[in-house]
Amino acid sequence: MLQRPFQAPGVFAAVGLPPVVWLFALFLAPLAVIWTYSFGENRTLVDIAITGSWGNYARALKPLYLAILLKSMGFAALTTLLCFILGLPVALAITFARPRAKLLLLVAIMLPFWTNLLIRTYALMAILRTEGLINAGLGALWGLVPGLPPFEPLPLINNNFAVVVGLVYVHLPFMVLPLYAALDRLDRSLIEASLDLGAGHLATLWRVVVPLALPGIVSGIIITFIPALGAYLTPDLLGGTNSQMIANVIERQFRSANDWPFGAALSFLLMYLTFAALMVKAIISRREAAR
Amino acid sequence: MTGPLDYLARWPLRLWLAMVGAFLYLPLLALVVFSFNDSKRITVWRGFSLRWYAELFDDGELVAAFGNSLVIAAASTIISLILGTAAALLLWRFRFAGKAALEALLGLPIVVPEICLGVAFLVFFTAILPWPTELPWPANLGAIIIAHATFSFSFVALVVRARLASFDGALAEAARDLGAGEWLIFRDIMVPHMVPGLVAGALLAFTLSLDDFVITFFTSGPDTITFPIKVYSMVRFSVTPAVNAASTLLILLTAGLTALALWLQGADIAKQAA
Amino acid sequence: MPDLSRRSFGGLAAALVLDGCSRAFPKGANGEEQRLNFYNWDTYIGETTLADFSKATGVDVRMSHYANNDELFARLRAGNPGFDVIVPSNEFVTRLQISGMLSPLDHARIPNRANLAPEFVDVPYDPGRRWSMPYTWLALGIGYRKSRVDGVPDSWKWVLDSDRYSGRIGLLAEGDDLIRLGAKYLGHSVNAVTPAIMEQVTQMLIAQKRHVKLFHHDEGQDLLASGEIDLVVEYNGDIAQVMADDDDLAFVIPREGTLINSDCLCVPTGAPRPDNAHRFINYLLDAKVGADIASSIRFPTPNAAALALMPDEYRTNKVIFPSGPAMAKSGYGRFQGIGHIRAVEEAITRVMAA
Repeated sequence: MLQRPFQAPGVFAAVGLPPVVWLFALFLAPLAVIWTYSFGENRTLVDIAITGSWGNYARALKPLYLAILLKSMGFAALTTLLCFILGLPVALAITFARPRAKLLLLVAIMLPFWTNLLIRTYALMAILRTEGLINAGLGALWGLVPGLPPFEPLPLINNNFAVVVGLVYVHLPFMVLPLYAALDRLDRSLIEASLDLGAGHLATLWRVVVPLALPGIVSGIIITFIPALGAYLTPDLLGGTNSQMIANVIERQFRSANDWPFGAALSFLLMYLTFAALMVKAIISRREAAR
Repeated sequence: MTGPLDYLARWPLRLWLAMVGAFLYLPLLALVVFSFNDSKRITVWRGFSLRWYAELFDDGELVAAFGNSLVIAAASTIISLILGTAAALLLWRFRFAGKAALEALLGLPIVVPEICLGVAFLVFFTAILPWPTELPWPANLGAIIIAHATFSFSFVALVVRARLASFDGALAEAARDLGAGEWLIFRDIMVPHMVPGLVAGALLAFTLSLDDFVITFFTSGPDTITFPIKVYSMVRFSVTPAVNAASTLLILLTAGLTALALWLQGADIAKQAA
Repeated sequence: MPDLSRRSFGGLAAALVLDGCSRAFPKGANGEEQRLNFYNWDTYIGETTLADFSKATGVDVRMSHYANNDELFARLRAGNPGFDVIVPSNEFVTRLQISGMLSPLDHARIPNRANLAPEFVDVPYDPGRRWSMPYTWLALGIGYRKSRVDGVPDSWKWVLDSDRYSGRIGLLAEGDDLIRLGAKYLGHSVNAVTPAIMEQVTQMLIAQKRHVKLFHHDEGQDLLASGEIDLVVEYNGDIAQVMADDDDLAFVIPREGTLINSDCLCVPTGAPRPDNAHRFINYLLDAKVGADIASSIRFPTPNAAALALMPDEYRTNKVIFPSGPAMAKSGYGRFQGIGHIRAVEEAITRVMAA
């Protein structure tokens, strides 16, 4: 049963104050300045007049930008789905591994991510490029079979396929870690009971494990989907000529376009959407908890 | 002995893990291979050489940047863990006005485009809270650490919150009935349950910090270069294998530390068994 | 050829590691701390230049890097975090200056400006050189793989308006440069891009896009070297670097003419140590120092005295020093106002989204 603050005021203050104060003083306060810019316009290269106009938002809602936003959401959704499919078995394996293997697997999952993102992306490019590892390997295999026409390298890079591969590569741990956190020390007897009662492993996975791990799955989806939506380096380096994502556009507003007001409007549009979605989620889960 | 839950011993899962492993490590292999490239480029192979490792140790700038990155990542991870766990406990335990809004607000650091937050911190740390740049190291990294903790702690909060969903409240109740105080319950019952969430959250926060370029760029000054900033600035004239060499060393370091941890843990288990 | 990527500065490197960032600096004769913060592009200085300066003057130089002018501008926009010398390109000298972000140079303290080649003494983007001293210059052109291209692709047509090399072209992802080059190809000045011309170029780029393999972010030389593309819009210096490793690569300035850039040394407003900054700029313009830098970075130098000290191999290199009628038709891109930047941005977003 959830407590009211007055039932444990000391605890409430101890766990409530630090994050809330930090959030307001060091996150929302800096952002508030940028938020006011979203209602302003450039007067000179450095002078932003806060005019209170909605012009930047109107511009952000033009079909040109909405189409890019939708496309980015498509990329992010596909990435999230693939990360889930790839990551759930991995999370399960970590969960049911013995302590030493568990640590080993966790580090093995994280290790590639402690190299720099740019370097990692370059490494992925070395694999995918036309004369890269995969094509070289396939070409060698192809050459072993007599009588085939000359090998045509697969177009693995500078297209939307490469962007999704890159996004999955970059975001996989964002899915695996929350799943593992939610699944670990799951009540095993439930799974054993399901198996004993004759349910197959897949059925058990779907009917028992997934519902139990739902909070972890939801948080995994949130922290995979949202950062994937904000990716800009991956589409820049792996993408083709039509792989532009919304973060690339935002990025350019703050840099080459020097248009902070419009960049702010685009950014806050994303934040309004997320805020609304998370708010709805919080209210729904509270209703469910109340039931 | 293999129980019904010993998934690691089953071939479909092993095959799956092997596939995911190949996906994760094939590029890493390329990265390591190119650190030995006898060319200035990381795209075309020209023969074996150790020159980039030699150069790495010569390059004070890269080493210093590396040190800065590790300090920042460690400090911001600790702050994120404390803040994130507190936020998760707050949302898990209490019902209060504005809770849904707070929960949604906590999601914003995840969604805010990096560049937008970067510019926000740029304005904030120049105009509102100027961070003294002349402080002794590592205090001069303060602004960057604050910025990193700010975008990381939401990730920790989300993961720990999800973990807490499976906590059995009756345990805490029983302890309370037996006279245990809040602190004791937190230390001996809550924390052990939260460990997977804390580990996952810490790994996420550490990774996010180590990798961040944009926000760091806008909060760093002449004296506070980090590894990503160094790497990204190389793009105009080609990223050299020196960076691959640095990454390779980092991988070796991590792998070594893990092996050490495993070995210590093994000794621990052996002691318990004895 | 000298190794461009060595970034070891001997004593400075050791100092960086040893003292972290916390050393107290003694004051010099000019009343300033004996140090200097230099904000520069990466690998854009001689191997020993900073250490030599330190030896000569006792001033320690700490160098930080940015990857492009936009970053530099954004970083300084809210205030100077402590940089003494920066290296913006020509158009950004203008942008920084009209935004009050540069402090004027005191020519009396830069006697070595006498070393500059005459064409760099007075330039349209900084009449009288009040705010900037030239450091290098560079020109956009087409880098290509000889064995995969018929003859010399000496027109922008082959990358901007033709299907001949379909799927093997890489364009620079800089909107402003693309639009200006497009205008140049269509016979207009790079500095008179009207809305009608911009629309025409935008339509041309949208139509050309299906033949373009990728937009690159100044790593075009790597993509060319790895065989990913066969033609790329890039800067002469970048292509000169990969040409040293691969005989099959070449570079041409298209006959329509191109955009010239020049990176310049400036002192940002609020620089904590302006006198050291002037001493440093003067030092970089020294003949011998300039020659050392040029032989390291292999970009064209605007320093006539330094050029005189360079070997023939550098001075007659057609990639480093492109010349001829195409160069005669080329010019600096000038700042055209915030309305123009915004229009360019929207145009390029349309191209990328098409």
